[in-house]
Amino acid sequence: MPAIAETYSLGLPVEIGRIDQELKKLWQESKGAATRASLINLAVYCEEAGSLNTNTQLMARIAENHACRAIVIEADCKAKENRVDSWISAHCHVSRAGSKQVCSEQISFLLKGTCTTLLPSIVFSHLDSDLPFYLWWQEEFREPMDPQLWAWVDRVIYDSWAWDDFRAQMHFVESAQQEAKQRIVLCDLNWTRLDAFRFALAQFFDHPASHHNFAKIRRVRIDFAPGFRSTALLFAGWLAAQLSWRCEKTDMEDKLRFVGPSNGKIDIQLRERPGEPVTEVALETPEVEFLVTHAQCGDLLEVSRGKPGEKRTPQLMPAGKNDPVSLMSAELMRGGPHDVYLHAVSCVRNLL
Amino acid sequence: MNRAAEQPEPNPLREGISARAVPQPCTIVIFGATGDLTHRKLVPALYNVAADGELPPAVAIVGFARREKSDDEFRRDLEDATRKFSRQAVRDEIWKTFAQSIFYHQSEFEDESGYKTLAKRLDEIDKDYGTRGNRLFYFAAAPDQFEPILKHLKAAGLNQTCKGSWARVILEKPFGTDLASARELNRLVRNSFAEEQTYRIDHFLGKETAQNILVLRFANAIFAPLWNTHYIDQVQITAAETLGVETRAGFYERAGALRDMVQNHLLQLLCLVAMEPPTDLGADSIRDEKVKVVRSLRRWSRKEIAANVVRGQYAKGAIHGDPVVGYRQEQNVKPDSQTETFVALKLFIDNWRWADVPIYLRVGKRLPKSATEISIHFKKAPAVLFNKDLRDLNVLVIRIQPDEGISLRIHAKVPGASFRIEPVKMDFHYGTSFGKASPEAYERLLLDAMSGDATLFARRDEVEHAWAFIDTIQDAWAAEKDAPELYFYPAGSWGPEAADDLLARDGRAWRRL
Repeated sequence: MPAIAETYSLGLPVEIGRIDQELKKLWQESKGAATRASLINLAVYCEEAGSLNTNTQLMARIAENHACRAIVIEADCKAKENRVDSWISAHCHVSRAGSKQVCSEQISFLLKGTCTTLLPSIVFSHLDSDLPFYLWWQEEFREPMDPQLWAWVDRVIYDSWAWDDFRAQMHFVESAQQEAKQRIVLCDLNWTRLDAFRFALAQFFDHPASHHNFAKIRRVRIDFAPGFRSTALLFAGWLAAQLSWRCEKTDMEDKLRFVGPSNGKIDIQLRERPGEPVTEVALETPEVEFLVTHAQCGDLLEVSRGKPGEKRTPQLMPAGKNDPVSLMSAELMRGGPHDVYLHAVSCVRNLL
Repeated sequence: MNRAAEQPEPNPLREGISARAVPQPCTIVIFGATGDLTHRKLVPALYNVAADGELPPAVAIVGFARREKSDDEFRRDLEDATRKFSRQAVRDEIWKTFAQSIFYHQSEFEDESGYKTLAKRLDEIDKDYGTRGNRLFYFAAAPDQFEPILKHLKAAGLNQTCKGSWARVILEKPFGTDLASARELNRLVRNSFAEEQTYRIDHFLGKETAQNILVLRFANAIFAPLWNTHYIDQVQITAAETLGVETRAGFYERAGALRDMVQNHLLQLLCLVAMEPPTDLGADSIRDEKVKVVRSLRRWSRKEIAANVVRGQYAKGAIHGDPVVGYRQEQNVKPDSQTETFVALKLFIDNWRWADVPIYLRVGKRLPKSATEISIHFKKAPAVLFNKDLRDLNVLVIRIQPDEGISLRIHAKVPGASFRIEPVKMDFHYGTSFGKASPEAYERLLLDAMSGDATLFARRDEVEHAWAFIDTIQDAWAAEKDAPELYFYPAGSWGPEAADDLLARDGRAWRRL
């Protein structure tokens, strides 16, 4: 590939009207040494100054596992001047077969002033046709939610961890979803953060003979890192939704009470501890404790079950990572609807 | 594929996490645990699924073999092998916990007492590791050992389990050497394990692309109306390898390419290409349709076999520029061996969909490149307008290995004032489109067996019907009088000329790989 294809750079500045021609030229210049690959349109929107560079680096790494047409947008809504700058580049890596370069295209935009209202038109005119459109929204949602834009989105990706007002934000995305006639799948990276823990805890109950324990759960403890209370609450919401627990009112910040299907009380304790977003989850019945905890080495979980205080032999499972690239890769890999997430949210919406 | 396989009570915490049937806690007992398959494939596959978090924590592995060995020695051997053969680097901390559940059980296969002590040991493992009385017996031993193993498993009561638990057996090919021996093997297995407990493994079916054949056919409406005799001119399936007989001469001398590859791998691929849509994705629904294909294969008379089946054996030649010896010069091969290392055959599926569509299969050792692929050659468009002089057909190629993917050859106008038309290729590569590496076939198949999903395993009747078809060819070759000729081809060529003639007679040619 020519020098403009250098990974991690914004690439070649181009006039917005010449993007398609310049992209075409980019591939012609590669003389067949590289293969363009694209399975999705992945647009990322951010209003933070300098985010074009940061997101370009993220896209380069995401594209290694998820070939896409990347559209990276930085918007400066408060700028006095009105202008749009654009660049094209390609993120290339050697394919698994090892014989050729596989490249994802990136188109980058810097929108200033009133030009930020051009977002839908800019996005629409640069989508790779017939491919699904994923929008990674790194800002808080706010009025007006442009129905023109949202009607085109297949999946909207956000991180509720960063939200100040969960209920208000969910209202925005759910409204957009309704306007789009439920076509949009809501993908919360804060939920993705829980994948490994949910997986590790679920496997304890794969055998039908272990299902009787669901009704016996009396206490749940979720340890979370400072700033990740919403992550812990989503976890509690997941348990409640899947096990049909109803939330009882609680005035305490760190203790929740739920009622099970047979009216048994379940106390959930949320404990703030330094470490990973969720560091440990314990489910207790009178006879047995199911424990998932982060191993010392960081990217593994130790899972064990046994009587409290009894010596156990933990097994190790992957823990996943809490960086944007890993979270996005996990999210993009998963696909499908996220009904379980919505159920979890509805169980703890008022607590978030 | 069989989402609901033996999952009577779904785990509510699994919802939305995994689309596949969930592997159950169990103890995997490997017979022939000191052999190549265990070291190269089985344990690395189990390690990989453990490292990916797919293996339930309550899984134990018991190696059963003759050699004296302690648990620790066995673990060390397996660790060395896994470090060498695993698709991902071995992490010490994961291996350490994985290895805690590996044990070695020394016994002769014929020694009844060895199975009684095995039963005791499995009970202890159930208590200590929560494997819940579920047992998966993997027969990685030589086929002649299957009988004593099955007999003693039954005598020790290991073929049965208490309510809520299961016992399953995985058999490695070859499933017999002909119809009679396959029936006998099936009878032996059935004496100890019911058909639904029996998993006959064909690792080709665990490959991502093989599974994708069903998706390609039944999730894409564009192919359905074209997938029949009205639009398809011919189908070719090729399994080529550059390797010679290597260290398998003892086995290969008795088997040959027809039994080693065609009876199982190639016919399985053919079934996936030719089967009718199943009513659902249940194991038996899919296997019912596959069996119908094998049953519909036209049986040739001896005379027809001579005309439609070509057998060959590699002579000395060169692979990638390096000289190699002929098959008869290989170690442990008889100097006058009649074993075929190459087979090309033309067959027909006598049913409504495939009437008169020739299917050409080709398999061989010491061919110029290693590749397995299926090509569907569509009929020519009417010979008017642009098509009067076109020689190439539209071809849909499904590449099974290497470089898994799908390509479609179409015709396009060459830019310019004249109406010159050339074939162009639309190409989909798994490796390019999906960054994530596909799991090894054994990983998928082991998890399926632990989940009770038999979709990708061969059923008894599939195996027997396949042998019935193969036996007619094998019998013709073994005939004392007028047996078809064994052709020789130089290593590094695409087989004997007779294989090319087989298609040339029909005005066709093998696809260039």
